[in-house]
Parts: sequence; C-alpha cells; structure tokens
Amino acid sequence: MAAVSFRDVEKSFGSTKVIHGIGFDIADGEFTVLVGPSGCGKSTLLRMLAGLEEISGGTIAIDGHVVNDVESKDRDIAMVFQSYALYPHMTVGENMGFSLKLRKADPALTKDRVAQAAKILNLGPYLDRYPRELSGGQRQRVAMGRAIVRDPKVFLFDEPLSNLDAKLRVAMRAEIKALHQRLRTTTVYVTHDQVEAMTMADRIVVMQDGRIEQIGTPLELYDRPANLFVAQFIGSPAMNVVAGTFRRDAGQAWVEADGGVRWPLAATAPAADGQRVVYGVRPSDLAVAASQRSVAAEVIVVEPTGAETELLVRVGASEIVVVVHGRPEAQPGATVPLAIDPAAVHLFDPTNGSALA
Amino acid sequence: MKAIRLRAVTREAQLLLIGIPVLLWTLIPVYHLFLFAISERDSATSGRLWPKNPTLQNFQTVFEQKHFYLNHFWVQLGNSLMIAIAVGLITLAVATMAAFAISRLRVRGGRMVMNMALFTYFIPAAFLAVPMYKTMANYGLLNNRWSLVLAMVTIASPYCIWVLKQASDKLPWELDEAARIDGATPWQLFRLVYMPLMVPSLVAVGTYALLLAWNEYLYGFLLLSNETDLTLAVALGNFLAADDSPWELLMATGLIYAVPPAAIYYAFKRYMVSGLTAGAVKS
Repeated sequence: MAAVSFRDVEKSFGSTKVIHGIGFDIADGEFTVLVGPSGCGKSTLLRMLAGLEEISGGTIAIDGHVVNDVESKDRDIAMVFQSYALYPHMTVGENMGFSLKLRKADPALTKDRVAQAAKILNLGPYLDRYPRELSGGQRQRVAMGRAIVRDPKVFLFDEPLSNLDAKLRVAMRAEIKALHQRLRTTTVYVTHDQVEAMTMADRIVVMQDGRIEQIGTPLELYDRPANLFVAQFIGSPAMNVVAGTFRRDAGQAWVEADGGVRWPLAATAPAADGQRVVYGVRPSDLAVAASQRSVAAEVIVVEPTGAETELLVRVGASEIVVVVHGRPEAQPGATVPLAIDPAAVHLFDPTNGSALA
Repeated sequence: MKAIRLRAVTREAQLLLIGIPVLLWTLIPVYHLFLFAISERDSATSGRLWPKNPTLQNFQTVFEQKHFYLNHFWVQLGNSLMIAIAVGLITLAVATMAAFAISRLRVRGGRMVMNMALFTYFIPAAFLAVPMYKTMANYGLLNNRWSLVLAMVTIASPYCIWVLKQASDKLPWELDEAARIDGATPWQLFRLVYMPLMVPSLVAVGTYALLLAWNEYLYGFLLLSNETDLTLAVALGNFLAADDSPWELLMATGLIYAVPPAAIYYAFKRYMVSGLTAGAVKS
C-alpha cells in the first residue's frame, strides 16, 4: 500500500498538450476516482501513473519515490483494463499467476495466492478454463484476480465496467467496492460515469480538458460544486441552470430570468443587485407544491419510474427537470406550482462558471 | 419462391462453370505425372488414359538408386529436406523477431527497414542470381549447401516479415501493456505472450518458406554443383541433359518429390486456424 502524488504533471502528444499541470495527492488506502467526459485526460493520467505513457513534465511519486523514469514492471502497480486484456492462450489460473511466474516465485506460493484470489472473486471452479469460455463478468473478475494476486502498492482501473451490461455493472461496482474495503489497497479508478464515481469513491477528481475542475468527497462535490461544469456533471439528472439577473429588494433576493420569472433565493445570497448570474437547482430540490414564492410551471413530459417521477416542465423560457417522490397527478399541458428550497440553490458567475460564495 | 430457386441454380451453375475447368487445370498434370510414373518405359508415351500393365517397378528403381541419374537419390532427397527445413526455421526466426520489433516494440526505423526489404521484390529473383553467386563466392560458400539456405532465407524473409507484421498488428495492444505491468521483459513478452498467439501465422509463414526452398531450382542449380550437394529439384532437371531421358523415372521421382509438400500442408492445416485470440479483449 502506498500514497500517490502528482506534481505539476503535464503530457503532450507532439505539439498537442493534453494534460496541463495537474497536482494532487492520494492518501494511502484511498479509493480515488478520476471522472470526466471522454477526452478529458483521465485515462492518460492513469496510464502515466502506470508507466504506459511518458510523463512530459512534472513528477509522479508512488510511496514517496518519484517514478518518472521507473518502468511499469518496477512500479509495483496492477492494472485492470477496460478490455480485460486476458492472455487468451492461458487458463484463468495461469492468467492470474502470470506476474508471479515472471518474478520466478515459488510455484507453491503462486498456486496458493491464485487460489486465495479465486476464492475472493468466486472464480474457484473456473481456474482451468480459458478466457474464451467465460462470460464478460467472469473475464472482468479474472482481470481483477490478476491484479489481486500481485498484492501491489496501487490498483489501477481503466473504465473496467464499460463493457458490461447495466445490471452486471451495478453488481461489479459493489464487488469492486467490497474488494477495496477488504484489501484497503490504494486505488485509482477511471470512469466517465458519474454514478460510478459517486458510489465508489472516497474522493473524486473531476477533470475537463486536461485540468482538474474540483477534488472532493462525492457529497462535497454534490453539495458544493466549485463551478458550473462540476455542478452539471455530478448528479443525475443534471442540475437545472437558468441565466438571469440577481435582484435584492425589501429583504428578499431572487434571480430574474427571461419571461419575468422570479427564482427565489435566500436573503444572504452572495451577489449584488443587477449582477448577471447563473441560477442552479437540482431536480430533487424542487417540489410540486404551492408556496409563497413558488413559480408557475407548465408540464411537458411525465416520466414515472415507480418510486420517483421525473417531470419535464417549462418555466418562463427555460425547460426544467423535476424529480418528485411518489406519483403526482400532473398531466402534460397542466400548469403546476414549483416550490424551491432557497437554501439548496447554487449561484454561478456566468463569465467563468465558478460558484459564487 | 421459384425465382429464388432458379437464381440459386444459376449461381451454382456459374460456380461449376468456373470450378470444373480450374479442377481439370490442376489435376490433369498431376494425373499425367502419375500415369508416367506407373507406366513401363516403352508404353509411357502411348497416349492411353490408363497403362496396359501398370507397374511400381519405377519406384523400386528410384528407391534402390538403380539408374545413372539416381545414384545419389537418397542423399539428394536428404539435401532437399535439410535445406528446406533450415530455410523454414531460419526464416521464421528472422521474420518473427523482425515483425515483433517493428510491430510491437515499435523500434525506430523499423517500418523503413521493412519497406526496404519489400522493395527488393521489385527486382526479379533471377536478376539477383548472379550478384548472389558472386556474394557467395566472396564468402567462400559456393558448393556448400548453406549458400542455398542463406540465399533462400534472403528471398523468403521480406514477404514473411510483412505477413507477420500485418498479423502482429492485429494482436490487441492491451496484452502487451498488461504483460509489461505484470513484469514481462521484451524477451518474455516475445516468448510467453507473442509467440503463442502468433502460432497460426508462424505455421503459415514457416510452411511458405519451407516450400519455397523445397521447390527452388535456379539458385540450387547455380550455387551447388557437386552431385552429392544437389537438391532433388536440381537433380531432376539433370534428367533432361540426355537426349534419351528416362521419363518414367523422372516422373516417378517427381511424384515422390511432390509428396512431402502435400503431407506438410495437411499436417499443418489444423494450425492455420483463426480465432486463437478469442477471449483476449472485448471487441
């Protein structure tokens, strides 16, 4: 187990810079998720940590030792690939024991470690099979088994669940999390799926265009997004945003949007009268209920999912998503009042997207 | 329904129309060879579709080396075999390592080396025969069976490298990365991951080089002159040196000479299967 640190890490492919000076630390035993849209540089960063890509600038350290010039095999890391990357000509057992074989470990010890890992991952009955004889989920588990057998300082996962179907993905998500809770090995996990990030991570690093947008625990990112990008990336459905002008009058504050809609705010909201702002509110912080400061919304689409119902409504010129518990009696075309908890509202600067505090 | 059946029949007929001539084209010379081989000396050219008195006498003559042209039959067959196997193995070794270096290790300049090697095919092998002869003379290798081995390796390698490079490019790149992280050195990667996955291509390429050497006439004729160094292919050519060639023996020897390639093809056919990398990566 080990801590990992990135210092001013940069990466260029030719003249194209894809990572722009990234720095953060991962504590020993922490489960860190790198998340962001495709092309944001998260996989590149992971591959640099793995030693599969050269580091163009800055340093990466594992357990206090800078590894820039250390080969992959000497970094004491294990990686699980999106495509599994199992050796097709080796059985499951041979796949899992391959790294130990290369290290010329005692065959008895290898067998022991493979058996242990197989037990953890319920792969016992499959040790003599070939990868082609396994299902997708089983192959993914073999790939994880290969990593576990190594007992590395750091586990790296590169979108390991992207090739699985939705149901299996949820199951494997829980398995990986349980595995981490059991082994407590420092883990860096790359995904584009914010739900995966939220459910698995101790800490999330949100990236965009080769830069870090925000680092924090899942709930920190959800409750206090540092900017519009994070606000809209984290959380499903995404946060509703409306551009408007901040108004304060007679002890009350609100944002006035196109169509004269007055979006309510707490009186302490950190903006000046007349300032252009972006008003953000999560779908779950809205309710279909009348209150003093509710806004009128026209229902466009009703999507029941059982326990919850998603409503797409039009407020002024904006389309807003509302998630309500239960099954409201709203019909498309009807007008309903939307109640908003002013304390749950986020304000952003429209010029650079950063949160107003 | 009827239209569909009619179309299927027409299609079948078209295929047969192409297939039957191709089959005849291939089989008639072989039949001719066989016919001569089992005919008696006098009736070989009688024009019959089946000899009056079919005989295996010719084969016995060949095996017992009972003819002037066949004095060294077994030695020459051995030469052919030795040279072909050596060419197959050496070409395989050269081409596999070159393809691995170019395709997987991405050695700088590797592609240029490959293209230059392929470029040699613009020059017909016959044109290179004399320079090759001279080179072998410089190295003092004339009349040495190794000269033919080295010449054939030179001729076979570029194509083999190219084929193997194309095949290696199709192996999932993640396998190399996984192996590197697992701690494999390039040599271990080559031996434990690359080679096992390349088996079908290796068999195909090795067979190609082996048969190329087995069938080679020109270079064997030029580079080797001692009766006991010759390959059987060159020795067969010598049958025609006389006005009165023993056609039935020539054909019997030819038939024997044609058996190993056919046997090799059937022996290795089962290795030339695709799908060996199934299950490696999700695609």
